[in-house]
Amino acid sequence: MSASIQFSLSSQPIDCQMPDEPAAGAVVSFEGRVRNHNAGQPVGHLEYQAYPALANETGHRILAEEAAQHGLLAARAVHRTGALAIGEVAVWVGVAAAHRGPAFDAARAIMERLKYELPVWKKETYADGRAEWVGPDNKSAETGRAPSAEVPEWQAELVEIWISPGNDFRGRHELGRLEHGIEGVAEVECVAGMGLRGDRYFGYKPDFKGQVTFLDASVVEAVRERFALPDLSGSVFRRNLVIRGIDLATWVGKQFRFQGVEFEGSEECKPCYWMDQAAAPGAEDFLKEHARGGLRARVLSDGILKASISRVP
Amino acid sequence: MTLNICYYGLLAERRGLTEERLETLAATTAELYAALDAAHRLGLITRDFRVAVNDEFVAWDHPLRDNDSVAFLPPMSGG
Repeated sequence: MSASIQFSLSSQPIDCQMPDEPAAGAVVSFEGRVRNHNAGQPVGHLEYQAYPALANETGHRILAEEAAQHGLLAARAVHRTGALAIGEVAVWVGVAAAHRGPAFDAARAIMERLKYELPVWKKETYADGRAEWVGPDNKSAETGRAPSAEVPEWQAELVEIWISPGNDFRGRHELGRLEHGIEGVAEVECVAGMGLRGDRYFGYKPDFKGQVTFLDASVVEAVRERFALPDLSGSVFRRNLVIRGIDLATWVGKQFRFQGVEFEGSEECKPCYWMDQAAAPGAEDFLKEHARGGLRARVLSDGILKASISRVP
Repeated sequence: MTLNICYYGLLAERRGLTEERLETLAATTAELYAALDAAHRLGLITRDFRVAVNDEFVAWDHPLRDNDSVAFLPPMSGG
């Protein structure tokens, strides 16, 4: 079943409601309003400029992708253009789903993506008359990122690097795994916005959340111990970078530097049922219970990562 | 070849206009931006922002053809 999707830009005040939908047990809507202050400065008004053709297409694509991801019945969003006064609604998102969990999750996910992916630009005029274009979430309008001096450097060991040319599991529910193999390498090239050169997710799609995946070496060791598999390879989890010394769960939504390369944690890399087949029966639940699937991240700058132990193939 | 060029947000402000038609020998989107950056000190670097040709996102090695519409899209800030 495909969801009802509707995205639009509007130069007039937004007045939206979700339509009646008998199968929807949960409707979540969100209004982003113009605030009277930003980053410590009083704001007078805002102006949004849009690239209409691409904004409509991008907005529709975001809604359709998140509707599919969360199993929504309907997803709508409207973004204002032009000059807005304090208190006006700048963006509106509404979703309908059978249950509240996916409705809340999808509304949040759509909103986050609209901020970073929709070809719309915000100009703030302050109370003292100065005006400036601002970046997403008050990041730099030039780079879209936090100033790099504020990005902390991980004090961590890179134990192993794994890359694989193709997907063994993704999208293969009830089809069985493929055998692309996975290769341990001593170093790997990171490319901003793309991922790890040579890996299956390199350049997979724009702004992909899982350009690279991190896994804590202690998780590999815990699975070896729990399932009495002392020789289990770190590669079976199909995460790219096995590290030691960092609590990965605390880096979702944050930027960091590792060996000089900048990354941004995007979400927990949730273990799936394939883990039972790849590692050992029960591995999926074991990993889930301990929130130990690892971290998915975007690559923000170019550079080379080197593993602490060189492995000869 | 002649191109239609659109600038948005910060880049429109730095260029001092939102649209122009331009004669160029640039073969790719990156070459075009490099020439414009050199002429107008736009100041952004290509890894930090996106470019569209004929209303579709493209890569920085995208080849250009006569009459293409090229849009330079600095980091977006919706919401």
